[in-house]
This record gives sequence, C-alpha cells and structure tokens, in this order.
Amino acid sequence: MSMIELTVNGHSVQAVAEPRTSLADFVRDKLDMTGTHLGCEHGVCGACTVLLDGAPARSCITYAVACEGAEVTTIEGLDEDAVTSELRAAFTREHALQCGYCTPGMLVSARDLVLRLPDADERAIRVGLSGNLCRCTGYVGIVRAVQSVIEARRARDIAPEPGGGRKVLGPVGSGRSARNGVKATGIGRGKTSTEALSRVNAIADFTPAVVLTQQFSITHSPAQVFAMFGDIAAVAACLPGASLTAPPSPERVEGAIRVKLGPIAATFSGLARVERNAADMSGRIVGIGNDQRSRSSTQGEIRYRLVPIEQGAATRVDLSIGYTLTGMLAQVGRPGLVRDLAARLIAEFAGNLDRRLSGTSPAAATPGKLNAMSLVSGLLRVRVARWFARFSSDKDGSA
Amino acid sequence: MKPAPFGYERPRDLQAALAVLAEADASVKIIAGGQSLGPMLNLRLVEPELIVDITGVAELKQVERRDDELVVGACVTHADIEDGRIPDVTRGAMRRVAGNIAYRAVRNRGTIGGSLSHADPAADWISALSALGAKLTLRSLAGSRTVAIEDFIVGALESTLRAGEIVETVHVPAMPPSVHWGYVKSCRKTGEFAHAIGAVMIDPSAATVRVVIGAIDSAPIVMTDADELFGGRITGDYKERFDPRVADAILTKAGVSDAAHRHIHVNALKRAVREAAA
Repeated sequence: MSMIELTVNGHSVQAVAEPRTSLADFVRDKLDMTGTHLGCEHGVCGACTVLLDGAPARSCITYAVACEGAEVTTIEGLDEDAVTSELRAAFTREHALQCGYCTPGMLVSARDLVLRLPDADERAIRVGLSGNLCRCTGYVGIVRAVQSVIEARRARDIAPEPGGGRKVLGPVGSGRSARNGVKATGIGRGKTSTEALSRVNAIADFTPAVVLTQQFSITHSPAQVFAMFGDIAAVAACLPGASLTAPPSPERVEGAIRVKLGPIAATFSGLARVERNAADMSGRIVGIGNDQRSRSSTQGEIRYRLVPIEQGAATRVDLSIGYTLTGMLAQVGRPGLVRDLAARLIAEFAGNLDRRLSGTSPAAATPGKLNAMSLVSGLLRVRVARWFARFSSDKDGSA
Repeated sequence: MKPAPFGYERPRDLQAALAVLAEADASVKIIAGGQSLGPMLNLRLVEPELIVDITGVAELKQVERRDDELVVGACVTHADIEDGRIPDVTRGAMRRVAGNIAYRAVRNRGTIGGSLSHADPAADWISALSALGAKLTLRSLAGSRTVAIEDFIVGALESTLRAGEIVETVHVPAMPPSVHWGYVKSCRKTGEFAHAIGAVMIDPSAATVRVVIGAIDSAPIVMTDADELFGGRITGDYKERFDPRVADAILTKAGVSDAAHRHIHVNALKRAVREAAA
C-alpha cells in the first residue's frame, strides 16, 4: 500500500492504493468518479483516456502510484472547460455518440486535437482519434463534430497550441513528484480541501468491525501523560513491535507494527492520522495498514482519554480500540485471540510508558513476540480487572 | 485484467535506481512510461515482484547536443520528440517516426528508452534508430558500456541488457544534408504495432546506405553493406535500381517463410526507398 497524493480536477486528494492500482481504478474506486470508463484495459480502446498534467494519457496502463503529485483531469473536471463545452454541443448536434461508453475518452482526445491541430483536416482528425474506439457511430458524426469545433475556433482566431502547451520532458504525470512515491510524508494540511477529503478514502473515518475497550493507569499526572502522547516517536518506542518508517509530524505518522499470533505473523505498514484535544485530554489515532505477505489490510482507530486519579497524581488511560481486518488474515482472525493480543500489547505498552515517564528506558522488550504459549497462559491468567489493579499498584508492569 | 501485486520503488536519481536494481534478488522490472509493460502487467503476462519506476530520475529526462550527436535520455517521450521539445539532428526523421507511434495518449507517456528496452521487434524505434546508426549507453553499478542498437536487440523481446543494467541514453548521430531518409511501416489499423517496417538511410554522394527490414518476428535485419539491393552500387538513381527480388531473398534467408508476409515487407521497403528518393 502506498499513500498517493495527487490533484484530481483541481482538488488535492490522498488515498491509499496498491502499486498495481491503475489510475483509472483509482479515480473510479477510490474517488467514486466513474466517468472514466474502462474498456480493454491494455491501452488500445481509449475509453479510459484522461488528462495527465494537461495531456491525454491512458489511465488503464498508468499506475496511480506513478502519478504522485500529478494533475489529473477526468471527464468530470471538464464540465466548465470551454473547449469541451463546445465539443459537447457539437457531439449532440452531429449525433457523435450513441451508447456513450467511448464518449468520455473520446472527448478528452478530441479536446487535445482541437487544441493542437492547425486546421480541421479530416485525415488528421481520423488519425488523431484512431486510439479511441467507438462501436456505435462509425465515427462520421464524431469527426464532423471535431471538425466543426476546430473550424469555429480557428475562425475566431484562436491559434493552435503545438504540443498542447507542454514544456517539460518525460512521461506526462511523472514530473511533479518531489519525493519517492512509496514514501509518503506529511499531508499539506491547508492543501486538503474538506470536499476532497470527504470524497477520498484517505485515512478516513470508519465504523470498526471490532471494538475493544481497555484501561490502564500510570503513576504520572495527566498533563505529563498527555505531553508524552504528543511525542509520537516516544510513544512508538513504547509500543512493542512498532517502528516508524518516516519522521512523524504532530498530526501524521507513518510506520509499521509487527504482530505475531502463534504461527501467524504479520507486519502491517501504514499511515495514521493523529488528533489531540488538550481541553479534555483526549485524542484519536486513525490508521490504515497493510501486510504485504498475507495481502491483508486493516483499518484501526485508537481513542484515548486521560482521567486523573489519586488526586491528579496518577492517570487512568481509557482506551477504545476499533479495527477492521480484510484479506487473508481476516479469514483466520479470531476476535478472542486478537483481543488478548491487544491486551498484552497494551500491558507492555503501559509498562514501557511508565518507565519512560520515570526516566528509565523501555524494557528490552521482545517486540511483537507474543507467542501462542504465553498467549494461552495469558488468557488463563489475566483478567482486565486484575491487570488494571496491578498497574495501579505495580508500576514496574512486568506482567 | 488487473496486474498481480507488485512492490514499487521510485528512486530519485540514477545511482539510487541502479542500487535498487543491484540489490533486488526478487524478479524486478524497470518501468518508465509503462505503455508496453502496462498491458503485459494487466494481462499478467509479466508478474514481477518489484517494479522500479525510473520516471522520477531527472538525469534520464535530459537531452544534450554533443559534437556530432544528440544524446537523448531514456525517459524522453515519443511526444517530446514529435513536438520538437528536443533538438532534432535528423532533419525531421525522428519527429515523423515519433509522431506515428501508437496514439497521442500513448506517446505522452511512452519513452524512447522504454521502447528499446522492451525490444518488441514491431516497435518503431528499434528499426528507425538502427537505420539512423544510433548507439545506446547502458549503465549498471559496475559501469557503463556502449552498444549499437542492432547489437542491442537479439530477438523478440530480448536484448543484451543484463540484470542490474539500464538504458541510460540514446546517441543519435547528426544526419548530414546529403543523406536521404525513408521510413515506412505497414499497419492494418492506424496506431497498431507494425506488420512490416522498411527504413532506408542512403547517401548517394558518399555511396553509403543503411537498410533495415523490421517488424519480422525477430531482431530486425540491418544491412550496412546493402549495395546488392541496388544492383551492386549506390548512385543517385538508387530508386530505379532497387531490386525487390534481392529483398525477397534476404527475407527468405532470414526465415520469413510466408510469401504474403515477404510481399508486405518488400513493399514497405520499396516505399521507404521511394520516400527517400522523393
């Protein structure tokens, strides 16, 4: 999974997608923009043609991950476009479509021809449209429509634009990424319009399939704990199996967590959005992750609230952990075992947290190595109430 | 029609790209514009574990005029050449070849280096650049080497590119004004892969010629000593002296057994000769 950030129809969007996700599937499935059609899916029929950095490109054989930073314009983004408006009227007038399946790609290619061709030469238009197949019209109406728009614009002294105005070298869509496409870094907060976010699967809110609630207490004041929770690197260091794969920003973290449940081992790599509310000492971490090996994905949400106990000298941490697991691992996932795994992770986490706040380094914990034996014995031995009690009394946390 | 899962890396510079390729112990494919590899991935003909995207490598998107040649970075697109965004040392030859590759939407992403690396015998650059006498610089962490295009392609989709090696630049020699150029391909549908390609670069004043018969099922036939095609010598009336029977015999010898296919190839070449003489 990679976080892909690009501009679609003027909106900055981010979404997580596999590297193999085509740009067409990305806009259709992640952004719900189904105006881009898929026909042959190997670059021949032209139905999927979109504008990439202003130039037509096949979105079925262009992978979204390769378009990091690019400007994508789909048919939905051409509603107000002057050339496309003229073309739409001409398509209607000349009966240039019947079923409409090829039309979005046809309009994108036609627009490019209107911009580039010096005159309305029928042969040049036919050659130019040869990469867009239409099975209804026999092309006559389409060619006439494009001819009429070119003629009308040249008559209005609108000059052709050789090269469609492109100035840089290299594949369209490839030039804007300032960074390695697999390594996503901080989201430009201001850049993300709410409209775009609500439309995008980007670390979106979700309804977890499983919700676990846990509590533990720490012998430090809520203010200290809250400050500590703001230090993502420190928190990650306390979480068994967790590692950061990029420098975190206060509101965004990229990392991986290795979990092992008996013979089942998974390393979920992903991204998380961090929200904090100092007023009520609460926070939320919403993340998405993917395990390459088992091809499983998870969405997770951790909500915490810090409640003062012992006259404010200590803190009770109320946790709510929600997650949804999909893919191969979901088939073998047993909520009971996962619940215990989470509980044990939290126990270790709390112990490490306490030690860190006390100024000692986290125990040389065995990250994520929660093998089945200790898990089973854990299941038998430990009760939430018990370990809650123990954490209040035993800050060593050596459970 | 969806590719099998693959890992993806997008190195920032050439050194990083070569390092990734050198380290990769899994099956790895380089992708540039992806206009040949994309369809193969989608059809699951190719299922690499790792894809290394080199379109973020700025060094490969540069062009430099060096003495009597143009050095074209591997990630320069067909549309870059078609539109004249790079200098032309071939007096329009490369621009015309580029402008007739597939479709505009493909040319906007497809790259010269990618097309060559893919080594599809029916693709244009293999034949056109062989006729133009171009060379390639191939680079790996071990260093670089230069090969002529005709030595680079060894068969259908097979090149001399070694593991960890990448096509870095294409070196196109400047075409002297005395040279005549003809390039013709036969496609039943505009933009599809050619069924036959004929390319001729002929200099009657110097009595030199390079002839390419391309889009046969293996590496193109490149003839630098093609006098026999023109009755034994290269003169100004080469168009009249062109002997289709010699071309047919060459094709037979190269293993093109179908007479109809040979006919199409001979005619593509004949038209290329005619275009050169025009």
